[in-house]
Amino acid sequence: MKTNWISAVIGMTAFAASTLSAPALAETAKAAQVELESDVKVEKVVAENGTVRKTWVTPQVVVPGDRLIFSVRYRNVSADKVETFVVTNPIPQPVMLAADGADALDVSVDAGRNWGSLGALQVADGKGGQRGALNSDVTHIRWTLPVLNPGESGTLTYNAIVR
Amino acid sequence: MKQDHTNTFRLTAAVTAGLTLIVIPQAANAAGVLAGTLIENTASATYSSGSASGSVSSNTVTVKVDELLDVAVAGLTTTPVTAGSTSIVLEYSITNTGNGGEAFNVTVDPAVAGNGFDSVVQTIAYDSNGNGVYDAGVDTVITNGAATSSIAADGSLKVFVIVTLPTGATDASTSQVRLTADAVTGTGAPGTVFTGQGEGGGDAVVGASGASDNATDEMIASLATVALAKTAAIVDPFGGSQPVPGAVITYTLVATVSGSGQAEGLHVTDIIPAGTTYQVTTLKLDGAGLTDGADADAGVASASGIDVDLGTVAGGTTKTVTFDVKIN
Repeated sequence: MKTNWISAVIGMTAFAASTLSAPALAETAKAAQVELESDVKVEKVVAENGTVRKTWVTPQVVVPGDRLIFSVRYRNVSADKVETFVVTNPIPQPVMLAADGADALDVSVDAGRNWGSLGALQVADGKGGQRGALNSDVTHIRWTLPVLNPGESGTLTYNAIVR
Repeated sequence: MKQDHTNTFRLTAAVTAGLTLIVIPQAANAAGVLAGTLIENTASATYSSGSASGSVSSNTVTVKVDELLDVAVAGLTTTPVTAGSTSIVLEYSITNTGNGGEAFNVTVDPAVAGNGFDSVVQTIAYDSNGNGVYDAGVDTVITNGAATSSIAADGSLKVFVIVTLPTGATDASTSQVRLTADAVTGTGAPGTVFTGQGEGGGDAVVGASGASDNATDEMIASLATVALAKTAAIVDPFGGSQPVPGAVITYTLVATVSGSGQAEGLHVTDIIPAGTTYQVTTLKLDGAGLTDGADADAGVASASGIDVDLGTVAGGTTKTVTFDVKIN
């Protein structure tokens, strides 16, 4: 299975074959031309001298209603230009996409079958009809970057709220 | 079944370089995801390079949802419960508004500021059979300050407090009884963390309620007082009103019951004064004759005295008993 997957990555550099015995995660990162690293932080509201400041910290305690920021850091680790770079992130079921900023994202409300802006999508209303999709209906987010030059990196983020 | 949409289109989202600054508060679901739930996020990407294509998955980040300790208590008696001579049942509900199963310590305080009287707490029980009403001997009785059974996230439990009026309570005075529920795991300022004590293996965090809430039920005393007045009228054999031998004395006993409650088991009794003789069949209640014998009617009379059983008499009622004696 692993061998099949690696052979499917056409353009793989030769050294990847020597990493088959390495841990799976490292192997995946080296085999691919692009590295993806996922991270999560939780919003903490800190009151200081009467002013409220928001900070993002590594989650220690997370409860319903908390705001999380999920980030995906990408980096083209190859010497070649990468095109049509599409990052897809399923929204974990226990969280929902935060309403703020949701309209600017390319989202799916049906597990990735159809995509669009939130305002253009509809879901079943449970009464036999359709209603406009809400941020809480989003199942997947997608980012598309036309070109990724060698060495180019960046971070994609989305905000979510623990249901 | 998922619906296909005809108006789908592709859209390329901008890459968000920084963090979103606009924050719109958004409430969680009633109880939220259960404590112990794992939030696992993995991104994947596809791309092309020349004529080839590739794909890659990210690592998976995992966050465990901790237990939020929250509770709401409500008094379920919307109007004051009328309390008379028998015990009454006050009903409360404890709702676990947190996201994990939690038991709550129940404290009942009958001494609430502003009370006309402080009731006597007889029994505290929770609705262990879930039928919504107090079943003496069936529902689990707990001591004051003890814990309920575990209430599921978003679940409610009814608690019954059985109270009686104290001696000395006055009619129409009111009293409140406060029930407080505290999360067994702990209470405190919102945000207080009990490390490792959460349902599902995580931490427990005090929510907005402080993991404690309370509510009151109100009762109103409904009591009656009885006043008895006795008068005598004399008719002598000569048409006058002198207390001479042979004169007939008509005694009138007026029982006045006042208050919003009722007098129960009320008897009017009197003895026949020495030197006089009860005149048979003269016993009357509100002008209606009563037989002297112990029978179906309310009155009994003999040479020694009379006894009229008025039973339960509502406040605002006056009962008049009369009987005649002759001076020997």
